[in-house]
Amino acid sequence: MNRRHLPVWVSLWLSSSPCLAAGAPDASVSRAPEPRAQACSVEGLMDSIRRGLQSGSPAYQRYLRELLKESAVTLPEAALREAFERETAPVMVEHLAAALAARTDRGEGVETLRLVAKRALGDADPAVRAAATRALRRTSAEEHTGDMYQRLVRDASPEVRAEAATNLIEDNQYVYAGAHGPASDVAVAAAVASSDPAVTARILGNISTAPISAESAQRIHALVDSDDARVRAAAVTALGGVPAAQMERARQVLATRYRDETDVGVRSAILQGLARLGFSSAIPELRRLRGVDPRLTGEADAWIQALSTGLQEWSLLLREKQRVGQAH
Amino acid sequence: MRSSKTRLAVLATLAALPTAAVAYTAVAPYPSTVSATTYYSSGTYHGAVDVANSRCNYWGAETGVSATVYWNVTVRTSGVVCNGNGSGNQNEALLNLGSGWSFRQWHWIKTSDSYDRTCNRCQVGNLGGTGNATGPHSHFQKDQYGTKNTSWYSSYTTKGEALDRGELMGYI
Repeated sequence: MNRRHLPVWVSLWLSSSPCLAAGAPDASVSRAPEPRAQACSVEGLMDSIRRGLQSGSPAYQRYLRELLKESAVTLPEAALREAFERETAPVMVEHLAAALAARTDRGEGVETLRLVAKRALGDADPAVRAAATRALRRTSAEEHTGDMYQRLVRDASPEVRAEAATNLIEDNQYVYAGAHGPASDVAVAAAVASSDPAVTARILGNISTAPISAESAQRIHALVDSDDARVRAAAVTALGGVPAAQMERARQVLATRYRDETDVGVRSAILQGLARLGFSSAIPELRRLRGVDPRLTGEADAWIQALSTGLQEWSLLLREKQRVGQAH
Repeated sequence: MRSSKTRLAVLATLAALPTAAVAYTAVAPYPSTVSATTYYSSGTYHGAVDVANSRCNYWGAETGVSATVYWNVTVRTSGVVCNGNGSGNQNEALLNLGSGWSFRQWHWIKTSDSYDRTCNRCQVGNLGGTGNATGPHSHFQKDQYGTKNTSWYSSYTTKGEALDRGELMGYI
């Protein structure tokens, strides 16, 4: 292949990759130089990332990030730590933090991940705190960092709080499949600890509460009386997914709350919560509530129709409800 | 008074409940050869991927998913078993994929690393043959409520293929 036909960033990489460098180009021939192996180094990989950031190719940038993460287990830990502690540019901090967290997840001990957590909590620059927080996404950080997330959701920077919420939601779904009680309890504890209603609502509205403890369920019940409609809507959504031992109380609370509630969005979420808690056995309750708010009579009817199908999977019921809603 | 925009925003937030499945890359746990896929040589249905290496209790058995995920580890056999000790006695690392889907890794030998853990390609034991096995290997199975799925590997690996540690087996 003629190297002159390669995109600029590919040529740059070929000539400068710290792990696979090209040989010296021969001006007299158009043949590409043979790649030759070199040892990876932290500085070399960081230089590649800095150049990659100028490439304009998101795919190449993702590749370089993965290269650094995959190399993390073989790179000298001390060099990686020093580079991380020295670095101040948020984008580079994020790459190095992801590499340090990757070491822990590959079974190399928790110290490197805790180093990232320390910076996420304590750096003076909010952009660096946010970058370090992002780097902990879809890792085992929840298990090794104590009350880190309860502190991050109270950070002075809204960007950090939002990143922490995203971490909790994505960890809950992608690392724990919504089935690990301690992970859901960490998310609930952080949602309750946050003084930012947007963060509380986002976490509670997007995590699985199926494996939560009785203590976490109690914490969510307390949020049903929040002054903020977003929090109330998220709390009743979360109560819709609680484990069997918590279901009866949740059903009673939601049914009572529906009559007292004034916000249509929260009422809609209550109908969904009741449907999820009871499946077809929720139909009598939904019939009793359908006349309470004329704005939601159609919504209650759609749930009754969907639940009448007898489907046994919540994802299928949700889809059926959406289909019924679109059909009207 | 609360605006309709606020209400719509609340509904939009709730509509974004995470329900979409995510694909993970399944990779070989040690240098190995694919010894069985959908059918055994005998013609009996298998519906999973077996990768084998003769060096029992030598290679570490890494979890075969290239992502940080929570593994539920079940030890049913504590001793070193290389050639089988009866159906149902296999040691298992189980990845819950949601909606009844599971990804299972069987037959490894218990070590000090055999406990529930959240990790990315970490060791949960050593290569072995616990359970229903005629030799040391790892069995990778994706199923929903017990019904096996074969599409995750059928376009990506074949019987007889040599795999290095971390090499692609399929997508779950």
